[in-house]
Amino acid sequence: MIDQNCQNQDDNQLVALSLNDSQYFYCLMKRYEDKLTNYVRRISYLADDDIADIVQESFIKAYEHLNDCDCDLKFSSWLYRIVHNQTINFMKKHKQSIKMDLENDEEFVDWLVADTNIEKETIRQHFNENIQSILQKLRPDYKEVLVLRFFEDKDYTEISDILRKPMGTVATLLSRAKIQFKILYEKENKY
Amino acid sequence: MKKKTNISDKALELINQQKLKPIPRWEFVVKSWGLWMGFGASLVLLALGIGISWFGLAGNIIVPHLWLLVAIVFVVLAYFMFEKTKRAYRFEKWRIFIFILVVGLVVGGVVFRVGIASRIDRKLESDIPYYRQIVPMKMEVWSRPEMGYLSGVITKVADEDSFEIRDFEGSLWNVDSQDSLIRGRAVIETGEEIKLIGKRTGKNQFKAEEVRPWSGGRN
Repeated sequence: MIDQNCQNQDDNQLVALSLNDSQYFYCLMKRYEDKLTNYVRRISYLADDDIADIVQESFIKAYEHLNDCDCDLKFSSWLYRIVHNQTINFMKKHKQSIKMDLENDEEFVDWLVADTNIEKETIRQHFNENIQSILQKLRPDYKEVLVLRFFEDKDYTEISDILRKPMGTVATLLSRAKIQFKILYEKENKY
Repeated sequence: MKKKTNISDKALELINQQKLKPIPRWEFVVKSWGLWMGFGASLVLLALGIGISWFGLAGNIIVPHLWLLVAIVFVVLAYFMFEKTKRAYRFEKWRIFIFILVVGLVVGGVVFRVGIASRIDRKLESDIPYYRQIVPMKMEVWSRPEMGYLSGVITKVADEDSFEIRDFEGSLWNVDSQDSLIRGRAVIETGEEIKLIGKRTGKNQFKAEEVRPWSGGRN
């Protein structure tokens, strides 16, 4: 019965209902479970059990802080922020750095092609070996914005809200990520 | 087929088992209000620090170290308070600093101009022991003839080597300025405010080694 009700409710409506009945919060969790699991996997390279623990703890934290949910932000941005912070804290605790596990994404490839002079076919062909290893070498803050922009399809406002950085900074980080990628690519492909 | 870990089910189970509830809204409201009030209070104290420093630098206090330190402390505190508010991340750090400084300077300027700074300084002097020792008034430092410091307004110029001044407590002094070093903008004319370094030679007699303008340093 609640499942049927959930489908017709948007995130903010479900948040309001969840404050009185945790079953509605279950609907929100089901809605975001897969997305958040994939997001943690993309930025952490952790084992499935660890990823599950992080997402579970994030849901618990989100439930406890529902009254602090900022209604001016998208609920998804607020939830992603919690998950992001939980992931970073987990990796700091286990002394790990952000590692990316990214699939070959068309929009990402197009972004790389623009201004880097690397051919599209080259990127596609070498994505899993060459490109992935170069991406791992980028600074952590560059990796974060790349994943959110191209693999989570977040716009600049959402990225700003998730990472708690000004939009100008987000744009600068993306731009610098591309420059650093180009430098690393040229270095790796010098013969 | 491998059973997929159901994170949502486990999370809900935990919420129900531990009877977890959302933290009450008022706790977040109180925290938010606390931060904004802290920010506001820091801005007010920053403005006071700047206002009284301005009062000092305008020639009334030797060097307003205490108030400059107050201003610096509250710039930093205001910044940290603001940074913890919900929307602060949308602004570049330098913009936040500039905003705080501008508000401090503008309100501090008003505090100085309308006389609030001088009133606070006098009130603190009357209520807090040792305040004046930490924040010495220029007038008091330059009104110690037995220590070789005298200041006041020139009331009469007898000749090029002597004149009369009325100090800030109303007493008249005869000043011997033969061979005195006249610094920079100092002018020996009736009505001019000056400060003297030298030696007391009698009850109301002073031998000046150096004559300086009241405002400013040696120049």
